[in-house]
Amino acid sequence: MSNEGRQAESSDERLVRAALAGDLAAFGTLVERYWNMAFALALSRTSDPQGAEDIAQESFLKAYSQLHSLRDPSRFAGWVGRIAVQQCTDAARKHRRRRAALGARARPAGERDATPVYSSNPGLTETQMQFVRKTVGRLPEKFRNLVIMRFMGGLSAVQIAQQLGQRPGTVRVRLHRAYKILRKDLAPLLEEVES
Amino acid sequence: MSDCRRYEELIERYLDGTIADSQLAELEAHTQGCEPCRLEFERCVLLGETIRESFAPGLAAERAGASVLAELAAQPQQRRGGPWLLWGRVAAAACVLLAIGCLAGFVLGRGGAAKESQRPPLTQVPVQVAELHGTVLVRHQGCDVWQALETGSDVCLGDTFHSTAKSGFVLQLAKDSTIEVDQNSMLALKSYNGQTQFFLAHGECTANLESPHGPFFISTPHGRVEALGTEFTVTVE
Repeated sequence: MSNEGRQAESSDERLVRAALAGDLAAFGTLVERYWNMAFALALSRTSDPQGAEDIAQESFLKAYSQLHSLRDPSRFAGWVGRIAVQQCTDAARKHRRRRAALGARARPAGERDATPVYSSNPGLTETQMQFVRKTVGRLPEKFRNLVIMRFMGGLSAVQIAQQLGQRPGTVRVRLHRAYKILRKDLAPLLEEVES
Repeated sequence: MSDCRRYEELIERYLDGTIADSQLAELEAHTQGCEPCRLEFERCVLLGETIRESFAPGLAAERAGASVLAELAAQPQQRRGGPWLLWGRVAAAACVLLAIGCLAGFVLGRGGAAKESQRPPLTQVPVQVAELHGTVLVRHQGCDVWQALETGSDVCLGDTFHSTAKSGFVLQLAKDSTIEVDQNSMLALKSYNGQTQFFLAHGECTANLESPHGPFFISTPHGRVEALGTEFTVTVE
């Protein structure tokens, strides 16, 4: 696992350098690698799958335009994750401004529930998936990002620490606190799925 | 019980993604005979799967990669930024050389003629872009550059079209027949046995054909679809 991780990191670095040299396909590989993570980071903040896809796409476009400013190419995942989070903040701000300008009211919660199913895996119902998203979305930000990087980015605790410039012990402790909260809050759903 | 403490630690390592293959095998062997550890391990695996499933994007990563690349290819180099800034000096020098070359070409009355002659000849086909929304790109045969497609554009043999997210277009064929191409799709016009054929690499398209119509096919990576009626949809996952 750790060997694979090291390979992935060096590969990220190589891909970033190739993209900077004009190799567009190399950047495409990076998008493929971290698309799920960027999408999940956005979805945990917007609750709107279509909006999250747009934000994820914008994040990668912005990442490409600012690729020269990435000091450590091996930290691409953490960097693009921060861009995605920032894009969510910007999108929310624009949305609030637009609503204020139009004097519009917030959409009722029931309207959001009408979003199409965004998973090919039939294991969970749409309602269950929304419950999971909301539960993860309620986690404190410092926990939530780590959980998404771990499960959707496929990064280990050690790799996440390296990506974010934090100590592995800190990341591990935060992840375990997050697991504890999730296991408690998702207990009824997990039991339902198990049975 | 003291034995299980070690396996609890291994379960934590599993959750952290830092467990070695040999440790995972050891953990799995232990859970065969230890009910509490088995339940704990299964619950942790389920937690991860539940999160992965709930946050899975509708747009597959491969498609997303292609879509982002298509957007980047459609943007002017200056707006793209990254490589432009890194290679700024090189690009500036190239511009100076290009300007000198163009000036020389103009003076000599040979502006660009040689370059044009190097391109393979494009064969126009009786197909037109009737409708378009969003960002759709086209790449001509023998050309590496994707260009933004416009309504009313003529279509040539060898053209490849890529519709990005929330985009689509309609090709008007001869004799009032159309092909509607959905978002995130790639369609190419190829010559097969001297006839123009449509090849759907991925995505979805719907053909509306006049009645009666001659033999009409849409090829895909999985096989060729023949039109028997007047309307049909082809989807390539």
